[in-house]
Amino acid sequence: MRAAGPTGMDLWQLLLTLAVAGSGNAVSGSEAPIPKDSQVFIFSWLQRICNSRTGLFFLATPATLGRPSQSLQRVNPGPGTNSSGKPKFTKCRSPELETFSCHWTDGVHHGLKNPGSVQLFYIRRSTQEWTQEWKECPDYVSAGENSCYFNSSYTSIWIPYCIKLTSNGGTVDQKCFSVEEIVQPDPPVGLNWTLLNISLTGIHADIQVRWEPPPNADVQKGWIVLEYELQYKEVNESQWKMMDPVLSRSVPVYSLRLDKEYEVRVRSRQRNSEKYGEFSEVLYVALPQMSPFACEEDFQFPWFLIIIFGIFGLTMILFLFIFSKQQRIKMLILPPVPVPKIKGIDPDLLKEGKLEEVNTILAIHDNYKPEFYNDDSWVEFIELDIDDPDEKTEGSDTDRLLSNDHEKSLNILGAKDDDSGRTSCYEPDILETDFNASDVCDGTSEVPQPQRLKGEVDLLCLDQKNQNNLPSTDTAPTTQQPSVILAKENKPRPLLISGTESTHQAAHPQLSNPSSLANIDFYAQVSDITPAGSVVLSPGQKNKAGISPCDRPPEVVSLCQANFIMDSAYFCEADAKKCITVAPHVEVESRVEPSFNQEDMYITTESLTTTTGRSGTAERAPSSGMPVPDYTSIHIVQSPRGLVLNATALPLPDKEFLSSCGYVSTDQLNKIMP
Amino acid sequence: MDNKGWSLKAGSLLPLLLLVSELLLGQSVDSLPICPTGAVNCQVSLRDLFDRAVILSHYIHNLSSEMFNEFDKRYAQGRGFITKAINSCHTSSLSTPEDKEQAQQIHHEDLLNLILRVLRSWNDPLYHLVTEVRGMQEAPDSILSRAIEIEEQNRRLLEGMEKIVGQVHPGVKENEVYSVWSGLPSLQMADEDTRLFAFYNLLHCLRRDSHKIDNYLKLLKCRIVYDSNC
Repeated sequence: MRAAGPTGMDLWQLLLTLAVAGSGNAVSGSEAPIPKDSQVFIFSWLQRICNSRTGLFFLATPATLGRPSQSLQRVNPGPGTNSSGKPKFTKCRSPELETFSCHWTDGVHHGLKNPGSVQLFYIRRSTQEWTQEWKECPDYVSAGENSCYFNSSYTSIWIPYCIKLTSNGGTVDQKCFSVEEIVQPDPPVGLNWTLLNISLTGIHADIQVRWEPPPNADVQKGWIVLEYELQYKEVNESQWKMMDPVLSRSVPVYSLRLDKEYEVRVRSRQRNSEKYGEFSEVLYVALPQMSPFACEEDFQFPWFLIIIFGIFGLTMILFLFIFSKQQRIKMLILPPVPVPKIKGIDPDLLKEGKLEEVNTILAIHDNYKPEFYNDDSWVEFIELDIDDPDEKTEGSDTDRLLSNDHEKSLNILGAKDDDSGRTSCYEPDILETDFNASDVCDGTSEVPQPQRLKGEVDLLCLDQKNQNNLPSTDTAPTTQQPSVILAKENKPRPLLISGTESTHQAAHPQLSNPSSLANIDFYAQVSDITPAGSVVLSPGQKNKAGISPCDRPPEVVSLCQANFIMDSAYFCEADAKKCITVAPHVEVESRVEPSFNQEDMYITTESLTTTTGRSGTAERAPSSGMPVPDYTSIHIVQSPRGLVLNATALPLPDKEFLSSCGYVSTDQLNKIMP
Repeated sequence: MDNKGWSLKAGSLLPLLLLVSELLLGQSVDSLPICPTGAVNCQVSLRDLFDRAVILSHYIHNLSSEMFNEFDKRYAQGRGFITKAINSCHTSSLSTPEDKEQAQQIHHEDLLNLILRVLRSWNDPLYHLVTEVRGMQEAPDSILSRAIEIEEQNRRLLEGMEKIVGQVHPGVKENEVYSVWSGLPSLQMADEDTRLFAFYNLLHCLRRDSHKIDNYLKLLKCRIVYDSNC
């Protein structure tokens, strides 16, 4: 590192000093070549150089330095000197609007006490005129070094002053002002604090800080009005907190922590002024210690609460959104299932239309034959348990019926063991409750019974066959066809199915070849469902193989005998037939085979008739050529006797007869039977 | 340096101050019933009158300070007005006390009259100031608005002071003495420098006189209302 820098500076300072000294002498006109003070200064300066870090010792004699004063401008300022090297006013200040003082910086005459060389002159304007002569500062001492103090006798407010600083005769600085513009009060005194209160948590406290105005400011007489600003901070902090200016002499400070120490300071200024005075002494505030019962935790930002509430709010919004768009979301998540429709029939009409209307419309429908059993209130329907999953697992109903799984078929046939839920469609109160129910009722009020009976008979017979085949497996008919068995209900149950179910205990391997019957679409078109869950079947479908009337096993005959006598109200024709003739069951069975080809899978009395009529003949049932009855109502025998199905194509369209199928009397039976 | 911040802050404070002054003063002073001399039930006490007067004078001094700072910042920089601005103000002829001793020695009635005189002396200059500032090229709104406000408040303060005088020593009706202002031609000079200097001078005088009146009123308030024990 070159030491030429500082050394150069020091050299320039030396040059400057000598130049100033020379020029000062020239200006002031004094005779002395170099004033004593200047010599002292030079020596002190030399000492400084000797003590400087550079360690260089530079000696210069004044004689070698004779430069003009232009070099004054280039001297680097040292501490306490101004840039130009001249004395300059730093500040003029009036603390109480009664006196004022002015301070200046010394030039390069640093450290020299030379009041003579630097002088202050003032002039003030009074009564429209400037006093012509400048007056010298009355007091150079009271305000300290390089200052001039004007006491109250020299001070006039609202009067312009001009002061100038001279150094050895030459004006070095000048300034003009009015005293009311330079007011900067002294700091307040007598700071103290009192405890106001402590918070409930025991963590924070409030204090009241009081002070007295500066003693020299005459606030009591109102000559000067002060406002104060308080600042406070924690002991180990570096940044002061400021409070707003107040006019009063005390101010509360809120929310200080009990476990910390604080520092407080106050400063004042004249109201309407900009400049504040100096700060007062720092007041230490030592708050009482926190009690051990104080809350441990300070207030922390409740992030947890905010998160909870935020989630809650979002959830509410989401729910609102979902509820408002409920329908649409429902459509998205659960697309609507196509409503089963009947071709040609408007479902709305079925919903809301009147009974007569619906009946007429259904009458127009193909499968509708509104004829029979209008007033048969005891008609009940096969109840298919469509909710049973087993039902859906099988390929065809025929399989189910013919399978060994009796329970399954039983279920298919509507294994509802209770008859409480079964209501006739004729009951008016259910007509409106359920769409399907009403439809069923309306639709089937005229006609459905025959079909239903038929269906039931079919199923029953099938069940019965199954059941009866069980004990006589070996004697099972070679015909592997489901035969309609005239079911005999052992119990006086209105519902055939239930009766069948009750009697149907043993799982009987249905037919040796149920698979052959798999093609049989032992299916009835479901026209409707009753409210109780019963299914109303309509025989609209053409089946590949008809279902021959089930054979009545021999043992049934015996039952039939007894039952026939007891209750003639409900029994089906086949039952009656069987009761009458026991022998030809085999023929029946054989006849069953041809009836296999029947289009109509349900038992018809006709088929029964024909089959019964011919004994031993394996000819096809003439019923094959018979028209397919649309509906066959099944009369559920109260006392289980069997089913009598009434086919519409019966050659006995005697309604009377038909209606009383359930009540077949011997006469009617004879009529039927050839 | 601080002038800009002070002016901006003052600019934002101006409407607030106006509002505060309106709230504090309520209706104009003259609309309030004044206690007749010797009346027992007085609606507006002397204390209230002085309080309002002090508020007004303080407000006027604030406004004039801001206005002067604004003008100084805008027009007077680098023009060396300061040294020239030690011209006399037109109110200098009024012999007002110049320091605390003099102010304490003077009788409060005389002091009140002096205040009235000063206030009256400023009616005319303020009116012309507003007119001329409006006519200035690119008249700054901050200066113009303050000038308008000062003019109005000065009128109100004058009315208030007259009422105070009526209460403090009623019956004495003084001749309306005031200093005449003759600076109008300077304000209308064609030369911009001259004109600006005239404005500068006027605003400087206004600031000084508003401070004087404010001080006198505070002194009087403490003396009369609080018995020298503020």
